[in-house]
Amino acid sequence: MAERNLEQLEKIREVVSQDLLSGRIELLLGWEKGHYWWQSRPLFARSKDDLAKLTWDSFCAVNLSRYLLEELKDHQKVGVLVKGCDSRAFNRLLQDNMVERDRVVLYGLPCPGILDYKLLAAEAGPELKGIAEENGKIVLKTASGEVEVKRDQFLMAKCRECLYPDPVVYDQMLLEPQGKKEAPERFKAVDELETLTPEERFAYWEKELSRCLRCYACRQACPYCSCRECFVEQENPRWQGRAYQPSENFLFHLVRAYHGAGRCIDCGECQRACPVDIPLQELNRKLIKDINELYGDYEAGLDAELEPPLLTYRPDDPAAFSEK
Amino acid sequence: MPRTGVFICHCGTNIAGTVDIEKAVEASRNFPGVVHAADYRYLCSEMGQDLIKKAIVDNQLDRVVVGTCSPRMHEGTFRKAAAEAGLNPYLLEVANIREHCSWVHKDIEEATPKAISLLRAAAAKAVLNESLDAPELEVEKRALVIGGGIAGIQAAIDIAEAGYEVDVVEREPSIGGRMAQLEKTFPTLDCSACILTPKMVEAAQHPNVNLITYSEVEEVKGFVGQFDVKIRQKARSVDPVKCTGCGICYEKCPSKASSEFEMGLSKRKAIYIPFPQAVPNVPVIDRDACLYFTKGRCQICEKECPPQAIVYDQEDEIFERRYGTIIVATGFDQMNPSQYGEYGYGQHPDILTGLEFERLFNASGPTGGKVVRLSDGKPPEKVVFIQCVGSRDKARGMNYCSKICCMYTAKQAILLKEKVPDAKSYVFYIDVRTAGKGYEEFQRRAAEEYDVAYLRGQVGKIFPDGDHLVVHGVDSLSGKIIEIKADMVVLAAASIARADSPELGRIVGINSDSYHFFNEAHPKLKPVETHTAGVFIAGACQAPKDIPDTVAQASAAAVKAVGLLSKEFLKGEACTAEVNQAECSGCLYCEAVCPYSAISPVEIEERYQGGTLKRTVAEVNPALCQGCGSCTVICRSGSINLKGFSNEQILAEVDAICLQR
Repeated sequence: MAERNLEQLEKIREVVSQDLLSGRIELLLGWEKGHYWWQSRPLFARSKDDLAKLTWDSFCAVNLSRYLLEELKDHQKVGVLVKGCDSRAFNRLLQDNMVERDRVVLYGLPCPGILDYKLLAAEAGPELKGIAEENGKIVLKTASGEVEVKRDQFLMAKCRECLYPDPVVYDQMLLEPQGKKEAPERFKAVDELETLTPEERFAYWEKELSRCLRCYACRQACPYCSCRECFVEQENPRWQGRAYQPSENFLFHLVRAYHGAGRCIDCGECQRACPVDIPLQELNRKLIKDINELYGDYEAGLDAELEPPLLTYRPDDPAAFSEK
Repeated sequence: MPRTGVFICHCGTNIAGTVDIEKAVEASRNFPGVVHAADYRYLCSEMGQDLIKKAIVDNQLDRVVVGTCSPRMHEGTFRKAAAEAGLNPYLLEVANIREHCSWVHKDIEEATPKAISLLRAAAAKAVLNESLDAPELEVEKRALVIGGGIAGIQAAIDIAEAGYEVDVVEREPSIGGRMAQLEKTFPTLDCSACILTPKMVEAAQHPNVNLITYSEVEEVKGFVGQFDVKIRQKARSVDPVKCTGCGICYEKCPSKASSEFEMGLSKRKAIYIPFPQAVPNVPVIDRDACLYFTKGRCQICEKECPPQAIVYDQEDEIFERRYGTIIVATGFDQMNPSQYGEYGYGQHPDILTGLEFERLFNASGPTGGKVVRLSDGKPPEKVVFIQCVGSRDKARGMNYCSKICCMYTAKQAILLKEKVPDAKSYVFYIDVRTAGKGYEEFQRRAAEEYDVAYLRGQVGKIFPDGDHLVVHGVDSLSGKIIEIKADMVVLAAASIARADSPELGRIVGINSDSYHFFNEAHPKLKPVETHTAGVFIAGACQAPKDIPDTVAQASAAAVKAVGLLSKEFLKGEACTAEVNQAECSGCLYCEAVCPYSAISPVEIEERYQGGTLKRTVAEVNPALCQGCGSCTVICRSGSINLKGFSNEQILAEVDAICLQR
């Protein structure tokens, strides 16, 4: 199995079960194992029994902060296990007035990066039965034997260019922080797209977006999508046509990306949730890059006190449209 | 279905010359909801308005579309006409087929379908128009004048005389401005102080005028009728109530600094009044020059002050006041001509600007009123005046004419002759511009009676030669090269906007032209108004101008201000934002971007699973909202809508243009 570190899990369980029993929190948002060994799904723990199912392994990808939107309606106080990206998502929600800070207890879990089953399976073949981990190595267990591979190469796309694996906001840090990471290739795909002609770029996105089923999984997973009624579902006015055609797909993804301008925390949940592998992070990162270039470096979600560039006005803000 | 009437204006040939009116009328008849369409030569005329009113009644119209000029021009006119026929004025929609169409196109074949598209869009929007009511807003019966030069003083006195309170905020320790620096004024040669000082005193003594000197405006919030202004009163270090203006402090003060009022030509004390007739006659301590503030010792002024008015620990005071209207009258600066290397300004004490030279005539000036060379104290025999230094200079300076230089140069040449009868003046000019009552006669007098030599041409080089300044120029009329061994050179440096005028414009919310002079709302018909309701401009902050024009403009601005203050109520904005609170997620980004602080959070209760749930949403105060629409674009869920420009209306317009068959 992929239990990374039973010791870590026990430590987490001890702290959160104390808080759950003492009534400090009414609900804990964590992870439990899903149907497959390579899935860890959200756990909604209200009792010690529920906590028996808690897991902390290399597949805890789901961003739990997003669930606060619903859970805070039914619970006065909620505890959440947060990785680096989950904590930034929490700041996103905090800045958007979607959560009250004092009704949430954040347990910080520095994250070594989430593994991508598709990559593991591609390496080991369909007979992959499970993995074991040790010192940055993964042992792939198959019917025909075991293979040892380097862990880094099997991280999810969203984790490979992660800058902040440690939680940036928390009430209690449960594990040892690991420090800021380097992400030299974070904007590589964007840079490459920028070198294309508008026609080539359009063709690229037309091809990518043509796969979109408009299932809106990206929106559901996204911490910046917190509208009560999304523009795509509004009837009056009807912004988004229902037709399944490229122009409507463009409309959805471009408008959604613009709604994330200066707000997207680059957690990559949209891309992870996408069933047809649309490189949605490229859209978001283009806007992150533009905002950094226009208004100075800004990392959404790092500090909830820092005013977002698009909500502030400074006389020396660039007037990009008039200057060109 | 609404019953819409479409009315298309020919605007003489302004529209009809480029748009086939007949075709546009015919097309309009087929727009959804249109039951009546007509055209008229001048729709804004009384006859044109009557035509609309009659059609509204005869055809029971409940929506009106006018295809005319920009709504900035005549929307008000047509709304009023619609209201007179019993229609809510906001049921009328303007299609701008002049500025947006006929004026920017030449080809009638192309402009006509575009005009029809614009009309179709307006008709589609009009269908969704709703009756709106403008809220009534109170007017704070007090005016703010920013700048205490002659423009600000005149405006303040006029407003005060009309019976309204007025505050004058002046940056310097005294009011008076540029005019206080002048010796005599053209074309009558009145002594500037003699005509200005009484005005300064009148302002100071008027019960309705409140002078706030040594102060600056830091922030302006609110809107016409209710501007909330934050004013910083800088620490004077002198108690103005105790101070008797005896002047012992600055007599005894041992520390000196360059005098701003004397254009740096002489020194003033660290505790000082800028000039003898200063109003208020209360000194200030220049803390950068004061020995006590810089080195911690001295305190002579405190020891010597009879009423003990010196307050070293006085601090800047910031206070907030509400005003119904604001007049900006912040004046101008003189360009520093040192960038013109050929004139050698700054490299020789006898090369001066016009304003510096002016100070030499003044009895309290750096030379005690003697016109002498600053280099050796001798009276000059030959003085060369150079015009248009930095003005009318596309390549290196300002494109515009500074307007006052031709006249003040003539004045200075006359004054020079009177002070130094042996002196000879030479004026290098591009054109002599003397438009103004008595101006031409005045300038001719300088040339004919005071022996001033006018040389049409430019100066290429000035260099010192012994005691003299050799001026090399060309007389472009004769083509001859001229060399004058001058004793002094006076440069008519360009009048320019105050360096910080863009900053003030930002604070007050008015815009400026490319030279940073404040923009009037219309160059001909709204010369003192700005695009911000309730803010007016006067004097040289709008463009270079002389005293008569400045005073006239100041009185004009005062009339506008008084007109506003005399209103019981102002009609507010009817097109305000409103929040769909059921849809609002309460992120309050709208609150962050609202420039009028019109949006605030409010807690609402909602039903949730049999119980209720409290949550925070946005709320718009319609009295504060100015309908700018910033909130509607920041709102991702479209939960905030601008009445009269709702998302539905805008999309209907887009559809009408894009989806036409």
